Amino acid sequence: MGKTMKKALITGITGQDGAYLAEFLLKKDYEVHGIKRRASLFNTDRIDHLYQDPHESERRFVLHYGDLTDSTNLIRIIQQIQPDEIYNLAAQSHVKVSFETPEYTANADALGALRLLEAIRILGLEKRTKFYQASTSELYGLVQETPQNEKTPFYPRSPYAVAKLYAYWITVNYREAYGLFGCNGILFNHESPLRGETFVTRKITRGLARIKLGFQDSLFLGNLDGKRDWGHARDYVELMWLMLQQEKPKDYVVSTGKQHSVREFVNVAGKELGFDIRWEGEGVEEKGYNQKTDRCIVAVDPRYFRPTEVDALLGDSNLAREELGWEPKTSFEDMVAEMVAHDLREAERDLLCRREGFFVPNGIE
Amino acid sequence: MKKTALIFGISGQDGSYLSELLLTKGYRVVGSSRDAQMSRFSNLVRLKIRDQVEVESAALNDFRSVLQVLKKIRPDEVYNLAGQSSVGLSFDQPVESFESISIGTLNLLEAIRFLEAPIKIYNASSSECFGNTDGRPADEFTPFRPRSPYAVAKAAAFWQMANYREAYGLFACSGLLFNHESPLRPQRFVTRKIVNAACRIAAGMNEKLELGNISVERDWGWAPEYVEAMWLMLQQDNPDDYVIATGETNRLEDFVDGVFTSLGLNWGEHVKTNRNLFRPTDILTVKANPGKAAQKLGWKARYKMRDVARMMVEEEKEGWEKL
Repeated sequence: MGKTMKKALITGITGQDGAYLAEFLLKKDYEVHGIKRRASLFNTDRIDHLYQDPHESERRFVLHYGDLTDSTNLIRIIQQIQPDEIYNLAAQSHVKVSFETPEYTANADALGALRLLEAIRILGLEKRTKFYQASTSELYGLVQETPQNEKTPFYPRSPYAVAKLYAYWITVNYREAYGLFGCNGILFNHESPLRGETFVTRKITRGLARIKLGFQDSLFLGNLDGKRDWGHARDYVELMWLMLQQEKPKDYVVSTGKQHSVREFVNVAGKELGFDIRWEGEGVEEKGYNQKTDRCIVAVDPRYFRPTEVDALLGDSNLAREELGWEPKTSFEDMVAEMVAHDLREAERDLLCRREGFFVPNGIE
Repeated sequence: MKKTALIFGISGQDGSYLSELLLTKGYRVVGSSRDAQMSRFSNLVRLKIRDQVEVESAALNDFRSVLQVLKKIRPDEVYNLAGQSSVGLSFDQPVESFESISIGTLNLLEAIRFLEAPIKIYNASSSECFGNTDGRPADEFTPFRPRSPYAVAKAAAFWQMANYREAYGLFACSGLLFNHESPLRPQRFVTRKIVNAACRIAAGMNEKLELGNISVERDWGWAPEYVEAMWLMLQQDNPDDYVIATGETNRLEDFVDGVFTSLGLNWGEHVKTNRNLFRPTDILTVKANPGKAAQKLGWKARYKMRDVARMMVEEEKEGWEKL
């Protein structure tokens, strides 16, 4: 291993952002370490293409078993690696699920960030190790102004958002109290073909692709009126890295500045697959019909409503654009097209398998 | 029908004064402590109400424990005053601070939700959530800018309360209380430390009082009347959050002056500042606007900082005379 090579530690490396960031940092010649949780099933499919066998010399991509709920485990890993940069991307990241697992969400998302900050301090690495905290536009919740920037007050609306609020402020506090180089990236929604299948965007592209190939008849969604500022995860991980290369630590909003509703997302994804969708009805009764066949392919299921909804988010990322020279590269339409193409290919693979008599799991939410 | 109140954190300053208030209002008062059999409840003893209060063991960070005590006591009102309460200590025990403050509040909210009982809940939030108030008096709309692990945990608990109120319709209220003092404050709190040392010096002890940053500003009120605001919040038609304060800002130096002056002493001769006592991050300026509490609850602080200083000194001297 080269002496000048920088070392990064990524928590949540098996997730969407972790995979893109790992790839990005490897291209920047980093030695990349990641923490993955033990699971009875393989959980590394997003980073399998980066994997290097432990027997290889010159290994630049290393995975460690760990968990944000285990302090001594984190201390040991960080002690061993002595990273220049830590990216805390690990979390229970699903808003809806957080209403069902509020305590776990607090433990992993809020205390997890604190445990990492404490590990840096305990090991005396405050002056060496920079820290990136994955903050979120969900902090704005019941928005106090539009668009939202770094000065907009928070109003969290879910156990997930409250836990992330704690992580945000504790990162700020450790920066101010101990001079630690800690930055929050307040990322608005960011999607990609690697997005988890239970998140609404991926659920739409995957669902429509499978409808197209006859795996399922229709797709059930929650709040169709929800509006979000959707960017491409690949564009956003660059900003995480940029934040840690500045002279001074600071918090930045990362967003496209454009807003679309869930319904619009469905329309654009549908168009990619040749569906012309006609909407009828209102509220819980609203349905999307395939214009050509007149069959209902999208319907609302109140099961996906949240006890408290976040209606509309729109980010103002001017600070990041001006100070970091960053701007999103991928348009909304291109991003949706990429996701649809990926999911159509997966559905085609499944179709092929099924045709040849192999069992194809459907994926249960 | 006699109402029942369950107070988590009954051993502390606010828990004791709240018990006293609720007893005079005819409540059955039950208090919890982590180990009720080992706790001396010295504040309740001091207020001479120990035998009128039932006590239960309960640990807020343990869901079973919370559920069990709620089921057994069947309270109409729950007051959550428990949890690590020192800003200074929270820098040394950041995880414990989060668990006792934030996970504790979450367990209470979840337990009430689980029981589907019409239990009203008050949660002790804190002016520390605001951080420096930039000259503008903080009200219920002022954004938080917490500056200590204690304050960050309290901010999370505040939003948990708001979320459970909005998501599940719980009658949940947070009181954003500014500093409120009394003779029951333990000595690690600066006000009590000052009063205690000043009384010793007045009694002829040859010592210096060492303090951290004495130019910090706070809004100091009298704890026994702040607990009334907690109760009032739970008697309204709708649950809401309130700032509770005197509306008067003073520097710590002024409080020191108030204490020493009431003892006929000149503080400048007895106090020295020590940089080691400064906090890693401290709040410098604070201003509060308790207008909503006055308007909606009809609550207003009668005692301001100089009254608080004088009354604390009087009690301290009285306690010494009894020794």
